[in-house]
Amino acid sequence: MAQTGSLLHYRSHQHFRNRLVLSILSGKPVRIDKIRSDDKNPGLRDFEISLLRLLEKVTNGTIIEISITGTAILLKPGIISGGPLVHDCPLSRSIGYFLEPIIMLAPFSKKPLQLTLRGITTDEHDLSADLIRTVTLPHLQLFGLTDGVELRIKKRGAAPAGGGEVQFLCPIVKQVKTLDFVEPGKIKRIRGIAHAVRVSPQFSNRMIEACRSVINRYIPDIYLYSDVYKGDESGKSPGYALTLLAESTTSAIHCSEAISRPGVTPEEIALEASRSLLAEIERGGCVDQKHQTFVLMMMVLGSEDVGRCRMSEPTPRTIQFLRDIRDFFGTSFKIVPTDPTDPDCSQLLYSCYGTGYVNANRTIA
Amino acid sequence: MDDRPHKPHRPAQSGSKADKKDKGKGKEKQHGFNEKAFAPRSGRRADRQGRRNAERDQTRLHVPLVNRTPDDEPPPIIIAIVGPPGVGKTTLLKSLVRRYTKQTLHEAKGPITVVSGKKKRLTFIECNNDLNSMIDVGKIADLVLLMIDGSFGFEMEAFEFLNVLQSHGFPKVIGILTHLDLIRKAATLKDTKKALKKRFWTEIYQGAKLFYLSGVLNGRYPDSEILNLSRFVSVMKFRPLVFRNTHPYLLADRIEDLTPREQIRTSKGKCDRTVTVYGYVRGTNLRMGTKVHIPGVGDLDMKGVSILGDPCPMPDADSEKRRKLSEKKKLLVHAPMSDVGGVMYDKDAVYINVPGSFTRGNTNVLQGEGEQMVMDLQDASATLEDAVAQSQIRLFGSSSKHLGVAVTVNQDDGEDTEDYEEDDEVEEEEDGEEEDDDDELDDDDDNPSDHDEVQDVSRDPRNTGRVSLRTVARSLPASSKKGRGGVEYADSDSDLGEEEEGGLGTLGKRVRHEHEADDHDIPSDKDGMNEDEVDDVPKWKENLLTRAKETLSKGGRRKDWTNLIYSSSLTPLEILHGASSPAQEQEIDEDDDDFFKLSKPDPISTDEDIDKTEWNVEPEDLDRWKEENVLDSIRGLFITGGEARGDEGEEGEDGYEDSHGELDDDIPAEDEPSASKEEPSHSATLAAKKEALKRKFDEQYDDPEASKLDFYDEKKEEIARQLQLNKAEFEGVSAESRALVEGYRPGAYVRIELTNVPCEMIEHFDPSYPIIVGGLLPAEERFGFVQVRLKRHRWFVRTLKTNDPLIFSIGWRRFQSVPIYSLDDHSIRMRMLKYTPEHMHCYATFYGPVSLPNTGFCAFNSLAGETSGFRVSATGVVLDIDRSVKIVKKIKLTGVPFKIYKNTAFIKDMFNSALEVAKFEGANIRTVSGIRGQVKKAFSKPEGTFRATFEDKILKSDIVFLRAWYSIQPRKYYNPVTSLLLSDKAHWFGMRLTGQIRRDEGLQTPSNPDSKYRKIGRPARRFNPLFVPKKLQAALPYASKPKKMSSQRKQTYLQKRAVVMEPEERKAMALLQQMRALRKDQVARRKDKKTERRAIHQKKAEKEESRRNDKEKEKRKDHMRVAGQKSKRQTDLEEGRSRKRRKT
Repeated sequence: MAQTGSLLHYRSHQHFRNRLVLSILSGKPVRIDKIRSDDKNPGLRDFEISLLRLLEKVTNGTIIEISITGTAILLKPGIISGGPLVHDCPLSRSIGYFLEPIIMLAPFSKKPLQLTLRGITTDEHDLSADLIRTVTLPHLQLFGLTDGVELRIKKRGAAPAGGGEVQFLCPIVKQVKTLDFVEPGKIKRIRGIAHAVRVSPQFSNRMIEACRSVINRYIPDIYLYSDVYKGDESGKSPGYALTLLAESTTSAIHCSEAISRPGVTPEEIALEASRSLLAEIERGGCVDQKHQTFVLMMMVLGSEDVGRCRMSEPTPRTIQFLRDIRDFFGTSFKIVPTDPTDPDCSQLLYSCYGTGYVNANRTIA
Repeated sequence: MDDRPHKPHRPAQSGSKADKKDKGKGKEKQHGFNEKAFAPRSGRRADRQGRRNAERDQTRLHVPLVNRTPDDEPPPIIIAIVGPPGVGKTTLLKSLVRRYTKQTLHEAKGPITVVSGKKKRLTFIECNNDLNSMIDVGKIADLVLLMIDGSFGFEMEAFEFLNVLQSHGFPKVIGILTHLDLIRKAATLKDTKKALKKRFWTEIYQGAKLFYLSGVLNGRYPDSEILNLSRFVSVMKFRPLVFRNTHPYLLADRIEDLTPREQIRTSKGKCDRTVTVYGYVRGTNLRMGTKVHIPGVGDLDMKGVSILGDPCPMPDADSEKRRKLSEKKKLLVHAPMSDVGGVMYDKDAVYINVPGSFTRGNTNVLQGEGEQMVMDLQDASATLEDAVAQSQIRLFGSSSKHLGVAVTVNQDDGEDTEDYEEDDEVEEEEDGEEEDDDDELDDDDDNPSDHDEVQDVSRDPRNTGRVSLRTVARSLPASSKKGRGGVEYADSDSDLGEEEEGGLGTLGKRVRHEHEADDHDIPSDKDGMNEDEVDDVPKWKENLLTRAKETLSKGGRRKDWTNLIYSSSLTPLEILHGASSPAQEQEIDEDDDDFFKLSKPDPISTDEDIDKTEWNVEPEDLDRWKEENVLDSIRGLFITGGEARGDEGEEGEDGYEDSHGELDDDIPAEDEPSASKEEPSHSATLAAKKEALKRKFDEQYDDPEASKLDFYDEKKEEIARQLQLNKAEFEGVSAESRALVEGYRPGAYVRIELTNVPCEMIEHFDPSYPIIVGGLLPAEERFGFVQVRLKRHRWFVRTLKTNDPLIFSIGWRRFQSVPIYSLDDHSIRMRMLKYTPEHMHCYATFYGPVSLPNTGFCAFNSLAGETSGFRVSATGVVLDIDRSVKIVKKIKLTGVPFKIYKNTAFIKDMFNSALEVAKFEGANIRTVSGIRGQVKKAFSKPEGTFRATFEDKILKSDIVFLRAWYSIQPRKYYNPVTSLLLSDKAHWFGMRLTGQIRRDEGLQTPSNPDSKYRKIGRPARRFNPLFVPKKLQAALPYASKPKKMSSQRKQTYLQKRAVVMEPEERKAMALLQQMRALRKDQVARRKDKKTERRAIHQKKAEKEESRRNDKEKEKRKDHMRVAGQKSKRQTDLEEGRSRKRRKT
């Protein structure tokens, strides 16, 4: 009894994750083709295959059909089941790549999710485990998930060889709350984590020193933790990174991150992180750019009320995501400048009418 | 008589009455509430009273629920009139409609909407006696008027209906007792009322409202009683029901078939239809893109939704100043399916009932304006098609050029590209449709009969699209004023038409205005395009292109994000960076034909574009932050930064502390200016801040507790705030884009276009069966295994059996599926049950469309009316939804030993292959006698045998069995109850039971001889005597030697001794013997006497009995005679009263 009428059709490999997530949440089957069909190496990459595997584990009754060339897939979503799971991520992408879609799905599963992921914890493409723990998960609080959301970083694994391990715990909800978040407030504290694995522990101290040279001028409430993992817990490759987050009086969080590159000193990394944090703060809004899609997704899933959120300009990813949301849920956002009288105001107010999404997978009694 | 003004009341100025009144007034103040009278006498009493009050307060509270129906313009309340045939439903409906609208319905079919108050409208719907209708009505009714024949009592249907209501959220129920005039005796009447009330109360709740309607006057119930009832209805408050508060739905009050006639003709009426249904949206917002379910038809796709002018509008602002509803407004009734004042809407036509006919020469009937118009239409020399071809339509008043017909037809294809243009194009499209229809009309309608002409006329307004609907709204009240006045009908039309211009006429206009406004509203980049829209298509697009480019290239101008994202096909990067790269612009310029073309992804971006979250930061972007002034520029964003940007934190620590505390505690009060506008509003902010601080201080100083709300009030306030926000957020947005963002709100009168509707729905349409359009949530469109908690209804006589089909009513749907019943077995497994348990809940799992957990349902074995007994077979609630199920049933594998060693045995006949054995290695086995063991290993020969060990030696005759669990899946059977598609709607039959099929086909039930019960013959087991060889006996020790014991032959001493008694002893013995003999004799005599007495008594009793029997017989005879007379009288009476009654 497949509803072929509601099949959605997309092209290209871009926004692959978001479309899969939207498909599973909305229950509409999706077909994605022309996946790197013009590429020298056509078809799905290993990490995408791995993501599909992970989604298959998280759900029950999902049917994934991949064409022989690997350039087209058809996903007929099942229900999100959750439960204790273990997944080994390939070394081509970090854990963040896999965790981001899972965070959107996990609150709507049948059983609380306990997912262990192994692989690289920090890389330059996706949110690092630290950022997810300190920034993404607190965003769930806005939607009523307060207790039991946890990300445990058991082992860290830097880029080439990985070897990290994180455990993600998420409770289930019946329905997420509507978001009304228009007051960005003012930055009241800055926190940071400088971590270094398989390199001199001095590196993290150097990063902290350099970072403070930039941000000390603004605010006294700054704590930068030096987080050094040793031995088995430090993974297989050397690396270091600095993660910063700024929290406002209304608990809006902005974050930034920079990781080690060959031939770059820790100080430069730290400066890069702190400057991009400042850039993020300047952009303003209640949600930073990296979490736009996540917050918008949850707003759409909220109860049948108007949700509002103030954010900076959408990223290209967000724009495409908004269009995809309309395809899957039929919900469109009203996006207006926060202050219509001020022509320079770049912040936008995103408001939408929630779909009243109820976790149908949840078991009662 | 009504017109004459009543004499005003003149209060007495003097005399006893005036004195009394004055005195009363003076006393009133003194009377009031005497506090002393209710003051507690003791401390303990005060305490108790206080506690009681607190408890009573708590019982008053209900869980706060959000009501999604807007308060300002709610949809009409649905009042369903339910009851057995002949109870007076139609009479009540007519009486109520008469009460509200002062006009008489001649044929009440389908929903009837009336205005009942300044802010209230009611939709009446009469429910027939079909269970399907009752289920559907129960799902949508806000208030049920449950009619009960007082002279007969409750019927089974009433109880069934109440059970259906209960499982789909209990709407309000008012019971109405009728036919009370048939009960003659006052005492009987009182008793009947009392008994029925008691029963009604136990079924609903203690104190449920029960109305009594006495006899019928002029075909209606007495006006005073109806007035009373309507007052009860008007003050009724409704608590939102959870299911209806999460689903949009509408009760269709009108239905139309839009399928091209030609298509129907070619397919002989068997093609799928395109159908529009009309009704008020209820529940939540109706959104496009979701599916709808029509119970009795199936899941359908909405092709389009459009808001129409309200056919039964609430009194407008002008009359709202009045305290009461004006008399004129009372005349409004919207009943498209029934015959109100001579106008009736059918599935595909509007019928106007006029005396005489529209044929020529019928001059004996006066012709009103409306009729004249119809007559004039017949004079038309050219067909409508020609008229359209010749006519010149301008889109806007300001546009200079007319629309060409040819162009509009062509445009039909590419219509759906732009949401904002859709409106205009709908009009054009409908013009096109009109042409089609008319072609067909010319072809088909050759026989010029009366009826055809009427249809012809009626089709005209329909086909002009929107306009027709407005005329509907306008014509209805007009037609309604004079009832079936016939001749005067048209006169009043014109009269009222003028009067109502302000109200209804503008309403129609308003709709139009909105569309126009929308078109102008389309912001910035589209403004130009609308003005030029009338021109040639290429030019229009050219202009758009330049406009769009202009907008994009303008750096300073603000982007309209909503528009850019949703209604342009620019890639995200293009949207973001505004001015597209020169190369792309070039491309666009070349591409004259279609601006909105999917741009090819440029090769550079595809290469490195990976799906990543972290946004690449440009190094030069960061370099900016090296400069001190840039760094300082964002100081204002930190709490230490003070008010103004670049304020260098002069407030220092103090300011930080201050603002911190305030902001954390009191967020709503905080009116912090964002860092952009500072100087001008500085003093204002300061004032606001001071105000907030003062308020906070006041609160804390006066009474810190008072400002705190309890949980209940807090939640209620939260809900109210959110509703306020919902209302405010899209206030200024145009209706079209508003519908896009939030859907169609409850209370709106909409037209839904449905595609691929089975033709039977139209062909077998019957207005007395309600058509409900229920919106589905995305989750509910899917299929899966649904686990429910179920309990067989205690009034249902049979038990339910696993794998027997059952008809479920869950959510909007009614469908047949095959459940498997199960129980949780020690939380280890879900164990299948063959039958539902008695008086207990069990689980049931079936395949079907998903509905959300916690949804209630009821189930039926058969919906047919002929079924005797109670038809609701089970009720329950949905627990879980999954794609696979884990239900197991017990299976026992048996085998027999073929070789037994000490504790080891070789078992055969349990498995067929070594592979099977391997699967069960280590499994526990058992013999019938209870010796436990384990499967060890497969034995090579013969195949399927295995070695097993036991805790003791087993016998060759023992049967060994292995207890295992076999998982079963429910059958994937789903059969929607398509009752609305049948010509005989009350007789839908689903899958039959095997037994039913056998009965129908006359087949024998196959019987397995092994399953027959036979007498089990168990021959007594004989054990041979133990034989120990003599040699062995001799060798045994004494203790182990078998002892041979035979019975004693010789008499014992006690037996053979002689007894010689002493003389005293002998005497005593003799005495005893004599006494015993006497006693014996006495007992015997007593016994004799007793039998004698008993015989006499029996004789007497028999006599008495026969006498009583005679008496009884006589009495019965008498009673029957009286009853016979009575029933004869009654039938005679009824024959006179109503023929319908006799039918039942």
